[in-house]
Amino acid sequence: MKDHFTVHLEPLGKKVEVPEGTPLKDVLFSYGVEFPCGGKGICGGCRVKVLKGDVSFDERHRSLLEKLNLDFSWRLACQSYVTGDVTLEIGQFDTFILADSSPFLFKPQEGYGIAFDLGTTTMVTQLVNLKTGKVIGVETAVNPQAQHGADVISRIEYAVLQDGQATLTRLVREKFATMIHRLIRKAGGIAPEKIVVVGNTVMHHLFCGRDLTPMASYPFETPEGGACHFTPEELGLKTDDHTDIEFLPVLGSFVGSDILAGILATGMAESKDPLILVDLGTNGEIVVGNRDRILCASTAAGPAFEGTNIHMGMRATTGAISSVTRSEEAIRVHIIGNEKARGICGSGLIDAIAVFLETGKIDIGGRIKGESGRIDLTPEVFLTQKDIRELQLAKGAVASGIQILRETLGFAPEDIRNVYVSGAFGSFINLENTRRIGLLKYPADKIIKMGNTALLGAKMSLFENGDKIRDILQKTIHLSLETNPDFQDIFAENMIF
Amino acid sequence: MVDILEKLTIVVKRGKADKNSPYPPDLKGQDGADELTAEALKMGFTPDEVLQKALVKGMHLIGEDFSAGRAFVPEMLMAAKAMKAAMKHIEPFFKSGSVKQKGTVIMGTVQGDLHDIGKNLVAMMIEGAGWKVVDLGSDTSFEKFLAALEEYPDAIVGMSALLTTTMVNMKGITEKIKEVSPKTIVMVGGAPLSQDFCTQIGADFYSPDPQGATEYLDALVKSA
Ligand code: B1M
Repeated sequence: MKDHFTVHLEPLGKKVEVPEGTPLKDVLFSYGVEFPCGGKGICGGCRVKVLKGDVSFDERHRSLLEKLNLDFSWRLACQSYVTGDVTLEIGQFDTFILADSSPFLFKPQEGYGIAFDLGTTTMVTQLVNLKTGKVIGVETAVNPQAQHGADVISRIEYAVLQDGQATLTRLVREKFATMIHRLIRKAGGIAPEKIVVVGNTVMHHLFCGRDLTPMASYPFETPEGGACHFTPEELGLKTDDHTDIEFLPVLGSFVGSDILAGILATGMAESKDPLILVDLGTNGEIVVGNRDRILCASTAAGPAFEGTNIHMGMRATTGAISSVTRSEEAIRVHIIGNEKARGICGSGLIDAIAVFLETGKIDIGGRIKGESGRIDLTPEVFLTQKDIRELQLAKGAVASGIQILRETLGFAPEDIRNVYVSGAFGSFINLENTRRIGLLKYPADKIIKMGNTALLGAKMSLFENGDKIRDILQKTIHLSLETNPDFQDIFAENMIF
Repeated sequence: MVDILEKLTIVVKRGKADKNSPYPPDLKGQDGADELTAEALKMGFTPDEVLQKALVKGMHLIGEDFSAGRAFVPEMLMAAKAMKAAMKHIEPFFKSGSVKQKGTVIMGTVQGDLHDIGKNLVAMMIEGAGWKVVDLGSDTSFEKFLAALEEYPDAIVGMSALLTTTMVNMKGITEKIKEVSPKTIVMVGGAPLSQDFCTQIGADFYSPDPQGATEYLDALVKSA
């Protein structure tokens, strides 16, 4: 008899090995799954879908599902224990935020540390026991600044053109304090030794209260991107005075300390072989390099991967077509939550285009064959010609950025050992299709979905004395793609499928 | 005889610059815009006929496909390259005055912004519609527009912006242009813009795509 089983988390593609009888709650907690009712089984907020195998399932569990009007393909994570190998889908959470549970090497130390990933959209923090390296608490939240614009440029606009900088700083610091207080309270009131915060350049400036004006127009270079230290008092934290709070420095222009942390997480600065790190978000940050030299850039991919600007696009939540496959002549769609399709999210869009390129419905220039100018996926959901154009812009920008950085360093595609994909969206994509559409032109076995590398790197830096960060900063150069005269031609080539 | 102009129209639209260019794959080894233009002129077609009946027509067709979503940026850029290859043969006649252009358009991406691909496409289309284009590149300040206007006082000014933080710079530039030269027509475009924004900043015309811009310009010539 096996006493350990594998929990397979889809669509993250993560495998976790746990002892028999482990509460599912413990497994999912570190992935940012929330338990709104505190694990009583009454809110259904932690529901997961069983794709293969099963977890413990008893009469009580069954009646809870019935009360919640959920069919029996669902399980409530808070009521479940691991009893065998199982594959679960956890993509249906409306507030799904990517935390991180990757193992990493560390030097055990005394006390506790907190890693904080301050994203444009979401905020996630973990409390770490520095002796064991274990995550003992997680808090997630939506960035309250989002009410003043979804992307970094609209935050800059609000801060600079509408005089909203102080408001944005206050909002984010308040949320930060609330989350830290909760983490500490739930852990029984411990006093952290340090808190490491990472985020993109705009988040850095807004958190640290630095003037964003230089980030509003060319050359988008800020003189104030360095590390910022705070005392707990300055941030309104009711914690021990000795806690050192640091926002890690940015790498240049729009490439922030979330990417710095990502470089740390991939081990790029120590690797002999060249590596690539890609964050497939709206800003499309790209890093290429090895222990000799590292280049980074942002390619401004746009929000297509997040489903924005797509006619029936939506985030990866219930009702979204999250994958599309073809068997023989039939096209199959997978809908998150197995409900009626309401729209399509980024991963579904990539799959759909890959599939229709195969069937010939879309040609290599991106044109939909025939006169209708649309492709029906389900009776409700269809793709338009413009959706495909949006995807071409986004994938063309990312592919061009990678190509330019790689070529600048003199590496051929074969020289690259691994491509690490970070970010929430990156965790959901089908790698073969990513290659088929020419987004990441590398063999699938070289591509590694790494999840939240910003949080992982921030966590790793809790154990560091700063040498590794200094080493990365010294080796890394930001490349400004807008001054590259070949961008247009490379971009055009990379827009083709 | 008309055959060669039709052929030229097609290679411009399909983006076949010259015989050696590998694009598009199905026209490999065939004559491109470069060879066909030279040949048409040698056959006795006037430069103006070549321009109007082949080049402008080819660019117009690709512009229509682009507007309808049938073609996209790569195809447009290839068509523009083919047009450029043809223009090499026509340009000497502009200088000698035997071919007249419809007028001059000064184009630039606005100050603070370096997104120039959209602006380039529009510039190519306008040139392909028979206008002289003075392209000031990206990050264009009022001073640069003014200097160009001094050289071409009758020119129309076209501005592009891709950032919501830089499109606001169009307002100041438009106001200053109108101050020093009230008769100058200012045309604006770029992904984050709208008709409302255009009206707000006092510009004369907004187009969401290149086709709209060339049609507007052509209408100006007709009404003049
Ligand atoms: C005069 O009359 C007219 C009439 C019609 C006119 C006209 C004038 N001008 C345009 N038109 C119209 O006709 C054209 C053809 O139809 C159209 O032109 P467009 O320009 O709209 O369309 C082009 C043909 C194709 N479209 C494009 O070329 C833009 C595509 C995207 C992917 C994009 C690209 C390629 C780039 N970028 Co940038 N970039 C994005 C874009 C996201 C997206 N998916 O759209 C966008 C525009 N970028 C953005 C940002 C933030 C940035 N970019 C930056 C950099 C870059 C690259 C260098 C990587 C590259 C530009 C290369 C270059 N030489 O142009 C940075 C700043 C650069 C600078 N100094 O200006 C940076 C500031 C940050 C960064 N992450 O690096 C975003 C703006 C967000 C906002 N709220 O404003 C963005 C929407 C992506 C995003 N993050 O969401 C029409 O608008």
